[in-house]
Amino acid sequence: MKKILLATALAGIVALLAPHHAARAEATVAPGASVDMVLLPKFLGILPFDQAHQGAEEAAKELKNGKKLQYLGPTPENSVAGQIEIVTNAATQGVGAIMISNNSGDQIVPAAKAAKAKGAKVVTWDSQIPSAEGEDVFVAQVDFSETGKVMADMALHILGADGGKFAILSASPDAANQNAWIAAMKDALKDPKYSKLELQGIVYGNDQSETSYNQALAMVDKFPGMKLIMAPTSVGIVAAAKAMQDEKLCDKIKISGLGVPSEMLAYTKNGCAPEFALWSFVDLGYLSYYTAYGLATGAFKAEAGTSFKAGRMGTYTITKDPTRKAGLRVLMGPFSLYNKDNVEAAAK
Amino acid sequence: MRWLQRHIRPEQIREFSLLLLIVAAVLIFGSMIDGYYTSRTFNRIASSVAIITVVAVGQTLVVLTRNIDLAVGSIVGCTAYFTGAQLAAHHGLPPVVAVLIAMALGCAMGAINGALVAYGRVPSIIVTLGSLAIYRGILIDYSGARTVTTDSLPKWLIDLPRLNFITIGDLDIRAMFALAVGIVVLFQIGTSFLNVARRFYAMGSNPDAAELIGMPTRQIVFSAFVLSGTLSGLAGFMFLARFGNITVEAARGMELQVVAAVVVGGVNIFGGSGTVFGAMLGAIMIAILEQSLFRLQISEFWRDAILGLLILMAVASDAVILNRLRAIWSRTELKLVTRPGTGAAP
Repeated sequence: MKKILLATALAGIVALLAPHHAARAEATVAPGASVDMVLLPKFLGILPFDQAHQGAEEAAKELKNGKKLQYLGPTPENSVAGQIEIVTNAATQGVGAIMISNNSGDQIVPAAKAAKAKGAKVVTWDSQIPSAEGEDVFVAQVDFSETGKVMADMALHILGADGGKFAILSASPDAANQNAWIAAMKDALKDPKYSKLELQGIVYGNDQSETSYNQALAMVDKFPGMKLIMAPTSVGIVAAAKAMQDEKLCDKIKISGLGVPSEMLAYTKNGCAPEFALWSFVDLGYLSYYTAYGLATGAFKAEAGTSFKAGRMGTYTITKDPTRKAGLRVLMGPFSLYNKDNVEAAAK
Repeated sequence: MRWLQRHIRPEQIREFSLLLLIVAAVLIFGSMIDGYYTSRTFNRIASSVAIITVVAVGQTLVVLTRNIDLAVGSIVGCTAYFTGAQLAAHHGLPPVVAVLIAMALGCAMGAINGALVAYGRVPSIIVTLGSLAIYRGILIDYSGARTVTTDSLPKWLIDLPRLNFITIGDLDIRAMFALAVGIVVLFQIGTSFLNVARRFYAMGSNPDAAELIGMPTRQIVFSAFVLSGTLSGLAGFMFLARFGNITVEAARGMELQVVAAVVVGGVNIFGGSGTVFGAMLGAIMIAILEQSLFRLQISEFWRDAILGLLILMAVASDAVILNRLRAIWSRTELKLVTRPGTGAAP
């Protein structure tokens, strides 16, 4: 407690002394405090969340947090209930901050509120709480309306000016970020520029490799004339690419969406998945940690207009979240597009 | 009728009616879905049947002995992941060695289950429910939350699901499906004609009688679990080849599909009757339903509900119809026995 107070005082002084940027002070996060922090992915066992964990550990080391970061997550089939359980337990233990990639929609709200009531800071990352209740701030990987445009652009780019039919292979119907991206893509498709693109439907693979694989194959039969599967999930996109390759359909049906370069390397090289996008999950974990640590130590408050320096990544500002009615966000960005020319370098 | 009763067992009637149901289902779905009768539909169903079938063969042996193996999903997941991790680390590993690794690991896991059930005298549902969770837990710990990815695997493995065993016209019979059918044929012949294998039936029909006539009942139960584990290990290898990307979640929930296939295929859940061929028919029936209902755009919720209904119907028909048939059969057998003894019979 003493350390937190000291850190707060230090941060306050630093904030006072720091040169003013456009009337607002930029908060500096002071290292050395001991804060219990929990990083909660949607579930354990897939690469992007592992990378976010790496980034958070990197930030923890830099900030010399006396307490070890707890990386806790549920199993995929138990994701919703498991997340609520972990948040509830963390609140009971009285942790200083919880970082959630929310997979439970608004069902997590009571648990998140309880954690806040106990004094924990609740930072969401990767996937937000839709109503923003019980959440201090959301660290957004990219602007969600941009995600819709990026996906529409990739679809148009792959299918060519004549466009064609495509379908979406999503994760679970409860995933807030997936639904926001799909909604953003539907919005983007209203632009006359994409008038030749026809969305045939949405199928859910629940972020399980086998389910996604089988669903991708079934989509081929279900959606006649489909030329592209857009999978905004790193599990779905690889599974779909393998399914098309196994059925020798890569010439007719292309795969695109959000994927991890190291997993997509082979399919991008052989033309099954000519183009896909992603952001750095390592950076996302890093930035989330800085945000949560700063809030928990009182270096800055979750208010629109607050700026803070997040180590190697530079300065970020908390703003109102334009994609939700309520809520604050820190926007990370940008997107990286991968194709056969740059995927190899990124896979390393 | 008498001829029929002398040459055909009630269980075979059950399997034959399932075969008719499959044909009926294919005809009905064919009339409802455009472009249903294509080699692609066949391949889709055949490849989803292949893995389930191999596991279901082992499960059949276990269920015959009045036990159940709920750990099969975890064994498939563990062997798929472990074999995948080995192949990713050592690309030069010969295919035969990779298959043997998977089968040996599955065998060991099955042996632990079998030892606890047969020699520890713990009910199989308790043992395998425990090992289902324990094996999965070991896998989560071993994997360190990492995924085995397709591109880390050697090329021959990635190409394996596309390998054709034989091509008839448009129809590609994939090697993995052929392997599954081969295993069914092998075990069908084995359980029909081999003395050792008939013991599974004897043990399940009447364990006390089996014990009385000096059968090594514990060994029989133990070997059923070992075979189930070994076949699950082989299925784990097939799983790895088919899906390529193996997470700690691989094959979770597969035990339900397998038990469903076995029960729908007419294997009596109380032991003693049913065949591995029936289990394969059960797996085919379920795969046809799943594929076709998806194409008819029926929601996942209803697909699960229909599957549940099918299992209930299978068990109910087992209880009602098969018992009726068995009663008719045994009456006839009594007549056949009594007739030659003229006058002597009371």
